[in-house]
Amino acid sequence: MRAVDGISLAVAEGELFTLLGPSGCGKTTLLRMIAGFAEVERGSIWFGGQRIDQLPAHRRNIGMVFQSYAVFPNLTVEQNVAYGLRTRKVSRQDIRDRVAEALALVRLPDHGARWPHELSGGQLQRVAIARSLVIKPAVLLFDEPLSNLDAQLRTHMRVEIRRLQQSLGLTALYVTHDQEEALAISDRIAVLRGGRVEQVGPPEAIYRTPQTAFVAAFMGATNIIPGVVAGFDGTAATVAAGGAAFLVRGQAGAPGAKVLLSIRPETMRPVDRPDADGPVLAVRLQLREFLGPLLRLHAALPDGTPIRIVTLGGHGVPATADGTLSLAYDPTQIIAFPAP
Amino acid sequence: MGCVKGIGMAVASWLFRLGLAAWVVVACVAGGGAAAAAEQRLVLYSANDNTVNSTVAEAFTKASGITVDVVSTGSGVLFRRIASEQERPQADVIWGVSSSLLKENSRFFEPYAAKERNAVAPEYRDKNNLWIGTNLQILTISQNTAAIPAAEGPKRWSDLLDPKWKEKIAYTDPANSGSAYVTATFLASLWGGGDPAWTKLGTLLANTKVLNRSTLVFEGNGSGEYPLGISLEYAGLLWRQNNAPVQVVYPADGTVAIAEGVAIIKGGPNPGAAKAFVDFINTKPIQEQLLRTTFRRPARQDIDLASLPGHMPPLSQLKIVPYDDAKWEASRRETLARLKTLIQDTR
Amino acid sequence: MMGSSRFQAGVSLLAFAVLGLFLLYPLWLVLQSSVQDEAGGFTLAPYAQIVSSRYYLGSLGNSLLAGAMSMVLASAVAVPLAFCLARLQVPGKLLLLALASVPMVLPSFVGAYALVLLFGRVGIVTVALRSAGIAVGPIYGMPGIVAVFTLTLYPYVLLPTLAGFRAVDASMEEAARNLGASRWHAFRTVLLPIVAPSVLAGALLVFIEALENYGVPAVLAEDRPFLALDIFKLFAGESDPNAAAAGALSVLLVGCTAVVLLLQRSYLARRRFATGARRAAPPIPASRGWRLLATAFCWGVVLLSLLPFAAVVVISFQHFQGPVMSWQPGLGNYRNLLKGSYRPLANTLALASLAAAAACVLGAPLGYVLARQRGRLSALLGILATAPFAVSGTVLGIGLVIAFNSGWLVLTGGWLILVVAYAVRKLPLSVRSASAAVHQIDPSLEEASINLGLSPGRTFLTLTVPLMLGGLAGGAVLVWVAATAEISSTIVLYSSRWTTMTVLMLHALEGTAPGEATAAASILILVTTAPLLLAYRLLRRHSGSLL
Repeated sequence: MRAVDGISLAVAEGELFTLLGPSGCGKTTLLRMIAGFAEVERGSIWFGGQRIDQLPAHRRNIGMVFQSYAVFPNLTVEQNVAYGLRTRKVSRQDIRDRVAEALALVRLPDHGARWPHELSGGQLQRVAIARSLVIKPAVLLFDEPLSNLDAQLRTHMRVEIRRLQQSLGLTALYVTHDQEEALAISDRIAVLRGGRVEQVGPPEAIYRTPQTAFVAAFMGATNIIPGVVAGFDGTAATVAAGGAAFLVRGQAGAPGAKVLLSIRPETMRPVDRPDADGPVLAVRLQLREFLGPLLRLHAALPDGTPIRIVTLGGHGVPATADGTLSLAYDPTQIIAFPAP
Repeated sequence: MGCVKGIGMAVASWLFRLGLAAWVVVACVAGGGAAAAAEQRLVLYSANDNTVNSTVAEAFTKASGITVDVVSTGSGVLFRRIASEQERPQADVIWGVSSSLLKENSRFFEPYAAKERNAVAPEYRDKNNLWIGTNLQILTISQNTAAIPAAEGPKRWSDLLDPKWKEKIAYTDPANSGSAYVTATFLASLWGGGDPAWTKLGTLLANTKVLNRSTLVFEGNGSGEYPLGISLEYAGLLWRQNNAPVQVVYPADGTVAIAEGVAIIKGGPNPGAAKAFVDFINTKPIQEQLLRTTFRRPARQDIDLASLPGHMPPLSQLKIVPYDDAKWEASRRETLARLKTLIQDTR
Repeated sequence: MMGSSRFQAGVSLLAFAVLGLFLLYPLWLVLQSSVQDEAGGFTLAPYAQIVSSRYYLGSLGNSLLAGAMSMVLASAVAVPLAFCLARLQVPGKLLLLALASVPMVLPSFVGAYALVLLFGRVGIVTVALRSAGIAVGPIYGMPGIVAVFTLTLYPYVLLPTLAGFRAVDASMEEAARNLGASRWHAFRTVLLPIVAPSVLAGALLVFIEALENYGVPAVLAEDRPFLALDIFKLFAGESDPNAAAAGALSVLLVGCTAVVLLLQRSYLARRRFATGARRAAPPIPASRGWRLLATAFCWGVVLLSLLPFAAVVVISFQHFQGPVMSWQPGLGNYRNLLKGSYRPLANTLALASLAAAAACVLGAPLGYVLARQRGRLSALLGILATAPFAVSGTVLGIGLVIAFNSGWLVLTGGWLILVVAYAVRKLPLSVRSASAAVHQIDPSLEEASINLGLSPGRTFLTLTVPLMLGGLAGGAVLVWVAATAEISSTIVLYSSRWTTMTVLMLHALEGTAPGEATAAASILILVTTAPLLLAYRLLRRHSGSLL
């Protein structure tokens, strides 16, 4: 059993590339291999034309922001940020300037003399980022940098990280298990599972056209419904699932093949009456959750299989006396995967 | 893992309860005191070494049926204990300490006229019977004959001034040893007192290594660590008897006999046993036995030394010089300060 | 947090009560003579005398120098040793750790005796080296004393430092490496400063212990004056009793300790390192050569520190005639020793265990309060809880006799007074271990428990104590070991029924049977190494904090 197996990835310059996956998928191991903290058994890691996997960790010129921040408790904020410059024998004057610049970048200009135990989690995070930025690394690695922050700060910090990365033109490798974070921050995402890459692509592609059921499921609260291919009319296939018939773009599989349908909640649209424009599905409404801008509906297919629908606004959802609801959908938005 | 964790917890909680119990007991013990023992006992504070103590204790128990509880350590500590325990004395008898310490601390003693006291010369016992001498310590020079051939060693105290003995003589710190104090003051007197004598004493001290305990002198001389030692008769004889290359030199220019004695502690828990012990320790057979096992020269004058191991010369053959106990006792603090300075100045 | 502060106040009160009764009160009884003139009025004359005396200033200087050098050297030995044990694959770690504690089990006078036989002017090693043409200086004087202190006291630094290294999160070192630091640079600039408080805590114990120790300079100082020796001579010497001067010197000794503790406190106040590793640092993948070197270093240091004790064991199997040793093997010492009573061995084990337990019961809550509370009161309590270590055992012993020989609480003549003396004198060891353990527990855990309805007292007993078990047990082991070797207060407090192994050894060594002393010491080594090994094994399994 290998933590990381047969992975081949190329990250472009100036790109924020995210390794996404559940815990144990090997994303952190991969990151630590790049940083030089985990051994590469076979294979190689290159920076441009330079092979780095044989270099010791401290010669790789890679910045890393740790999950626990790893801000040295025995040094002040300033000394922490200056640490990498000192090891590089940068002149004293340069150190002072660059540290000040870095602290300004992370919006902590007046915190240089503070001790780490006097800072909040978010501030520690900024110190850790400033410390990595200041050495002008060839690549910046982020190991779940936001997982120790509260939800609000998390959203805030990820915008800041993205802003910094783009404005400085940094090449960054980002590890997270949070798909929303990955979608929000990345130029490209690699979804990992069991030490192997499932899919690589820009966030939209990963989200909209997942290539495996795993990716589809992992990329957000999709409905996965098992079904059987009934037929194919040349443009769309009919799949029997949940006691109803679904139209799916493409062949989906040979007739009689078992498939898994991925139906994203926001692709189903409640309608007043069956519409001639596209296929319509009848479900039984069970529960509605009002989420402010959104309305989430919990419903059941004819055979009882649960299905979730999310709509914007929330008005205009008809509530018939017997609780049935008509849903319109676009066959191109439903993806069928061969059942395992 | 869980099992080990369990053991850890169990051990911890056991320790915890044990500790709690200890403090609770401390809190509850009030006025308890020692339980009255059915058998007769005697608590003996002794500055003598183990061999001496156990020889006497066993013999006493055999003769009287009284069990002896020995507490043994240096005489300074013993008198500290006695002074601290004044309110409720723990000891019955103190033994093995020098006459000067006995005199100094006589306020703690109960007078008792030992049965055979007349066998001990009057200068070696208290006229009010507060204490009685059991043995005599003679100041001697110990010579390690492996380091210095027998014939080449010093014969007199004044020979020790020779610079060739520099750092070869071991001496005990007079601030920690009564006999070392006696040696220094005796030599100051012997050499005429006054500044010239002290200058001479300084020359002698400059040749010495001043050690912290007399045992270190005996040991060091026996092993050859220090070729010469300003020592006591018994130590030299004991080491020689046990095949160490040690020779006892009785200085030809004179020496001192220091009495060591026994006294009964006032208010001790077992006064009857205390008296029996004092009588017992002054009997001829016991004094002879002590000489045989540990070379303590008897205070009794009626013992034939020549027939016993060690073949000690009788006092009459030694040049025993009178020592002004009272004078040196009275000026102890100043004299010690002067000695201390002298020692430091000659390092 | 009302209840919590009541709990802390209660513990503080209890600690003040116990230390007041068993430390301050007896000490006052002894030391009052140092501030009273003959008419009973207040005077500082003994203090003025000392400050103006070249002799005592020299003595103080020697003691401080020996203490400082031992402290530095013990740290220099213990820190790399701790690092190797924490991060490298060294075979036999548990055994190493147990063996490293052995020097603390034996009273130092036994080791000093053996050292003179080996390295004295005519010691066998000295003579052998000399005949091989290698001139070696004598072991006496400052170098010998510092060497002995270093090699016997370094475990005081080793244990907390080892725990400290284990508590540093792996990401600290990785962050430093990532920023371009070599392993050595990362160690020097990050790891070492983070464990520095632990090192310092241990080093201070070395300093204080070296300042207070009497047995080693008594044998090895020859002419040099040392404070602890002078206190003993003035206080309980047979020739120069001057309790006032002894008291003044004792106060000086405690004063030095207090100053050093205050310095440590102000140093720590600026360094509040939350430790507790989420992810323990992995063993360093060292090459064979380095591993071999580390193994050689670890075993080398430990075996070197055991040399005097190995010598003791070897000597115990030699033939003695009276006090005179001949290099002929024989079992006579053991025969003579085993003819006597087994009682001293049982006494030592029982008294040390009781003392360890008692010190734990008081030390755990006290260490907890000291770690959680930072006020003037806790500063005072902190000094009070460390002071016993610096108090000469003889002085405290006499104080206890004066205080508890009669009146409402009578302890003299029994075993309790020995347990009290040991527990009080060695309390700092358990307080410090407990404190260090508490520093690694997140206070929110306790708050959660209190929030769930348990009183602070119950929370402490049911949650905190189990969490700090590793540290507590480590402290208990140290107290046990130190109590086993205690001699200076024992000699003042023991009664014949409660003779301990150390008393037995001292008598044999001072008397005419040093052979029996070495045999007794060997038996003590044997009897104590096994429980130590067991304790460390339990500690490792249980807390993982040690190895």
